[in-house]
Amino acid sequence: MSLLLDRLFDGITNGCVYAIMALALVIVFRGSGTINFAQGELALFTTYVAWWLSTLGAPIWAGLVVATVVGLVLGAGIERTLIRPVRRRNDMAVLIVCLGLFTALNALAGLIWNSESKVMPSVFPNGLEDYLSIGGARLYFDGLGVWLVVLVVVGLMFLLFNRTRLGLHMRAVANAPESAALSGVRTGRVLMFGWGVSGAIGAVAGVLVTPLSPQQLGLQTMFPILIYASAAALFGGLDSPVGAVVGGLVLGVLQQLIMGYVGFIGDTLPQTAALSIIVAVLVLRPNGLFGTRQLERV
Amino acid sequence: MSDLLHVEGLVAGYGQAQVLHGVDLTVGAGEVVVVLGANGAGKTTLMRAIAGLLPSRGAIAFGGQPLGGRRPEAVVARGVSLVPQGRGTFTALTVHENLRVGAAVRGKDKDGIAADIEHWYEVFPVLRARAKQVAGTLSGGEQQMLAVARALMSRPKLLLCDEISLGLAPKIVAELFAVLRKINDEDGTALLLVEQNAELALDLAGRAYLLEVGRVAGQGPAAEFRDNDAVRRAYLGY
Repeated sequence: MSLLLDRLFDGITNGCVYAIMALALVIVFRGSGTINFAQGELALFTTYVAWWLSTLGAPIWAGLVVATVVGLVLGAGIERTLIRPVRRRNDMAVLIVCLGLFTALNALAGLIWNSESKVMPSVFPNGLEDYLSIGGARLYFDGLGVWLVVLVVVGLMFLLFNRTRLGLHMRAVANAPESAALSGVRTGRVLMFGWGVSGAIGAVAGVLVTPLSPQQLGLQTMFPILIYASAAALFGGLDSPVGAVVGGLVLGVLQQLIMGYVGFIGDTLPQTAALSIIVAVLVLRPNGLFGTRQLERV
Repeated sequence: MSDLLHVEGLVAGYGQAQVLHGVDLTVGAGEVVVVLGANGAGKTTLMRAIAGLLPSRGAIAFGGQPLGGRRPEAVVARGVSLVPQGRGTFTALTVHENLRVGAAVRGKDKDGIAADIEHWYEVFPVLRARAKQVAGTLSGGEQQMLAVARALMSRPKLLLCDEISLGLAPKIVAELFAVLRKINDEDGTALLLVEQNAELALDLAGRAYLLEVGRVAGQGPAAEFRDNDAVRRAYLGY
């Protein structure tokens, strides 16, 4: 029983990170119509910024704040300079630019900070004794901290989308870009802001998740997370923020349970499991759990 | 009468396919003008070019200032609003949210926007009844009413309507045209209509243009148009 709870707690913690990364993917997808494959490496780059600041003596929470701002600026800057010029041609061109960014950002991080693994400080207490005991299982403070931060991020996104004018305009552009432009919505600015928000969320996800993993910070840290987040976003329906969060949590918990109870998959094949989910969703339910079905009265 | 909209030598199209070959057209302040023409004559292209959705050559001036080459969001900010063909609504947003997006150019004028939404709910009571429904669940007629109200939320000086009667029941069409007449009478909003329903449109309009394969083939007062035998045979069917 306590072992199950342990696995559940770990699953929720991982799932929280997948959830906000998936949310970042969904925000860009709704506006620009493509999966941003550079999302993971954008998060990686900003995580390196937070790590680098910590080596200069800054507290890691300050690094988190700076990394989030860098993510915002970098995401918005990428949309303005690299995505917007090709967007009007077609979605495939945007996809190629994203793939290019994927390798470029990874290489840039390696160039600046070399390819050796770094020890990433944790924002929350992460000693062996820092846990709550619940039914014999251990809920570590750093895991709980991730839950709370993710809750705040999701709450802020909910408020942005549903309570602000900018959020309303983001939804309008996602739904019908031409009608949005005809209504006077500055679509370019709205898309740029969406990329910025995604960059900022990626930074939060990267800084939170890196200290949880035993490998610490390396050039390959964010790639598996991007795969899981893509699977979560697809599972939830690529254009649904709620679906992204639900998909992320479900995937995180499922992954832990499979690793724990299905011996032959073990730790070695979880990414294959994620990819299997992507394929299964594409075949069985192309619009995901919460995605928009392309069916309307006209 | 000074021209509100002045279009001269307008050339536009899609990629290699040029559709408009130098169109001249004017709309005066508070005037109602209808553009008639067969399918493929370039009516929709004309509307989209004016609204900034298509690149174009030639001159488009609005209120004495050049409008050509502007982005759609800048065109609507200047006071030209388009109801596009096939309903310009946000199907995933509620009726109320659609109207709020329509007021995008008005910034943070919260009270004025709320008052206008209330006004359009009074004009179209069915929209009030469906205020919290997403627009995609509305009937075709209701969506078209929403599209018109959404376009008017920007308080345009000139409203462009691209085939707003298309595919709708006669009763709904009559209701929509009554509203167009009302906003022209009461608010002085100028109208430029592209319309299949020539009879109804000529009834509302002061002047008419006939567009044939991308060129203006005729123009004049709407009453004369109706009495013109060729126009009658081609567009009125009697």
